[in-house]
Amino acid sequence: MRDRIVAMEITRLEAAHLASLVGQFTELLRESAPEDGDPALARLVPAAYSDDAEAAREFRALTQSDLLDRRAADAAVVLASLQDAARIPEDPEDPALLEQVEIRLEYPSAQAWLRTLAAVRLVLATRLGVEAEDDHDVTDPRFGVYDWIGYRLDGLVTALDIDG
Amino acid sequence: MPPLAAPTVDHDVDIAARIDPARPWQTVVWDDPVNLMSYVTHVFREYFGLPRAEAERLMLAVHNEGHAVVAQGAREQMEMHAQAMHDYGLWATVRQEPS
Repeated sequence: MRDRIVAMEITRLEAAHLASLVGQFTELLRESAPEDGDPALARLVPAAYSDDAEAAREFRALTQSDLLDRRAADAAVVLASLQDAARIPEDPEDPALLEQVEIRLEYPSAQAWLRTLAAVRLVLATRLGVEAEDDHDVTDPRFGVYDWIGYRLDGLVTALDIDG
Repeated sequence: MPPLAAPTVDHDVDIAARIDPARPWQTVVWDDPVNLMSYVTHVFREYFGLPRAEAERLMLAVHNEGHAVVAQGAREQMEMHAQAMHDYGLWATVRQEPS
């Protein structure tokens, strides 16, 4: 599956929304630290030891900043691959907004996409207060973005995992 | 004995009892309500190089039992795996095999 190239069809409008969301995620990574007490950021760097606070602290001290750097690097890959597709006209009636564009992702980029979409969903879930599977109310419009990212993530996984 | 020495001695005994070299270390992945089942399966296939059926079995174990041991061995190795799982947004911890 590693020599696979994933081709993703996306409208310019969706690409622009996605780029904006990933841009906000990058900003969150740049401007806050897990120590600030933001639970969304804390979820991205969970404690590696549940029963040993000292070991958890040491692990965190050794790995946390590298992990957040890799997150930012992944997000930058996603933004770079969206750049052309996300170029949209200012006129909201312009039919070019709904023009389908193809984004081609080589395997390492596709992995960066997966990790980033999953991380953005984790942040959204924290903001929405998702703590159990039942917390997912499909009639609540705020879950629209969360579901949309899930749909894109699932589509990418399927494209990467398909046998043959 | 000076009173201040007592906690140190207790601490050492405690550590010695807890870190039993005969018990292997484990990387444990915990269930969460956010990560998609398809995604978790993909991560297990991709990172651990597991065949699809094995990755799915492990994913279902996480989902149904609340957690699953995904690797066992030396502590440093298990910490590396936990770090990789965190990169993917999975909730992973390291522990010594429960006695």
